[in-house]
Amino acid sequence: MALLEVSNLAAGYGKVEVITDISFSVEPGKSVGIVGPNGVGKSTLLQAIAGGVSASAGSVRLAGLDILGKKPEDIVRLGLSLVPEGRQIFSGLSVKENLALGLTGRKDKKGAGAAIEKMRELFPVLSTHENHQAGMLSGGQQQQLAIARALISEPKVLLLDEPSLGLAPTVIDDVFETLRQIIELGTAVVIVEQRANLITNFADETIIIREGRIQSRLTPADAANSDSLARTYFGAGE
Amino acid sequence: MVQSILDAISLGGLYALAALGLGLVFGVMRLVNFAHGELITIAAYTLVLTVQFPLIVSILITVIVTSLVAFLMELTIYRRLRGVNPAIMLIASFGLSTVLQRVYELIFGALPKSAVVAPFLSGAFSIGGLSITISSVITVVLTVIILLAMGYLVERTSLGLQLRAAAADFKTARLLGVRANRLISAAFVLSGILASCVAFILVIQNPEVNPYYGLNITILALVGIVIGGISSLRGAALGGFIVGVILSALNTLLGNGRVYAYSWLFFAVLIILLVKPGGLLSKGNELERV
Repeated sequence: MALLEVSNLAAGYGKVEVITDISFSVEPGKSVGIVGPNGVGKSTLLQAIAGGVSASAGSVRLAGLDILGKKPEDIVRLGLSLVPEGRQIFSGLSVKENLALGLTGRKDKKGAGAAIEKMRELFPVLSTHENHQAGMLSGGQQQQLAIARALISEPKVLLLDEPSLGLAPTVIDDVFETLRQIIELGTAVVIVEQRANLITNFADETIIIREGRIQSRLTPADAANSDSLARTYFGAGE
Repeated sequence: MVQSILDAISLGGLYALAALGLGLVFGVMRLVNFAHGELITIAAYTLVLTVQFPLIVSILITVIVTSLVAFLMELTIYRRLRGVNPAIMLIASFGLSTVLQRVYELIFGALPKSAVVAPFLSGAFSIGGLSITISSVITVVLTVIILLAMGYLVERTSLGLQLRAAAADFKTARLLGVRANRLISAAFVLSGILASCVAFILVIQNPEVNPYYGLNITILALVGIVIGGISSLRGAALGGFIVGVILSALNTLLGNGRVYAYSWLFFAVLIILLVKPGGLLSKGNELERV
């Protein structure tokens, strides 16, 4: 059964509809990638799912429960976390305090200590910088902190908005290796990326968005065919 | 000299408390709440009108009434306007401030209400031939205790962490589970408690309470949070303290020319803002590295 089901979702800002008729689903331990050029509505899609942007049509179901129209702070308690674009860590707070904020969204406060311990194991670098100001971490470390902060609420579904943004290639590999471990633990993951080849190789299904609508869906097998990928992604030959 | 230093510290502390109350609300709502002055006024009226009760009871009633007014202010006005253009919020807070002044005038009259709230605090004592007023010492002690308590709440508690996170980026804080309504209400209630503390200290020094009682200190506290750094609670407290100390020093140093104290104060504020436009504690992105 799908953990997250998005059906015919439309959303935007004011009267401007940015995304239209978006449908996809993701099961536990699986991942969906969403790619497309700048400004096609990828971030708006994640924000609409997480409650940050109002949807004008469609439905979003989390473990069977309709979450559309709910507040972001309620959605995170139901088990869906978003790592926003640009990481949005609190640079003036310590690493420890950033992680503690992640606990705010936990339904079960009793397991907080164990959740922090789990994050320390998954992201050992954060333990060594625990008392440092988060703004002093490197880009890769900040991304790890943003992911750890989202995971500490033990979400069933994790949304990530351009986790590779501004990172060196080796650091991107580390981040995606961590994401692979998270998926293996049973979390359903939705990743928005601009790098089509990176995400098509990684995700179980990749959705390509153009002008706010789904243009096509790809599997890792399609990633091997770079001509097909380029044609689909850039619209070549249209 | 000792009395002047005590006066400067006590006025600085008083303005720091007022600025902190404003800064708490600005942090979570990006709202410059001009009606904060009216919270100080209602607290002062409550203290004066409950003077027949034991002091602790009078203070408790004041804190409850003021926090309730602050809570209702948020619930009935600002919550409905949340998310609108900041200029509209600003005008709404101006409007609310004016309406409350008129309401106070209708209820309590235009003439001042007066009572000696804590008679044991009037008078002075001598140290080495120097006469020091009890109220200035108590003001300093009270301010330090309240600032330390606020510091503990903001720096060491979960509520404080959420307030600091919301002040930095409320949208992200909500994505992490910070409950917007609850946190904003808490910030207003805390600002009401701080307004009660400010009113208590003010009433000790000047028991003549009128409908505009809290206006002056609120305007100067606003200046304080601008020079301290509008997005930082520490900056707000520091800015408020600096404004109070400068004003007190100017009043002492200028002698008969103290009518120009405000002109010199704002001149000093302009200099500070020209050197540090974001406020004294602003860091910008200096600490960020990618």
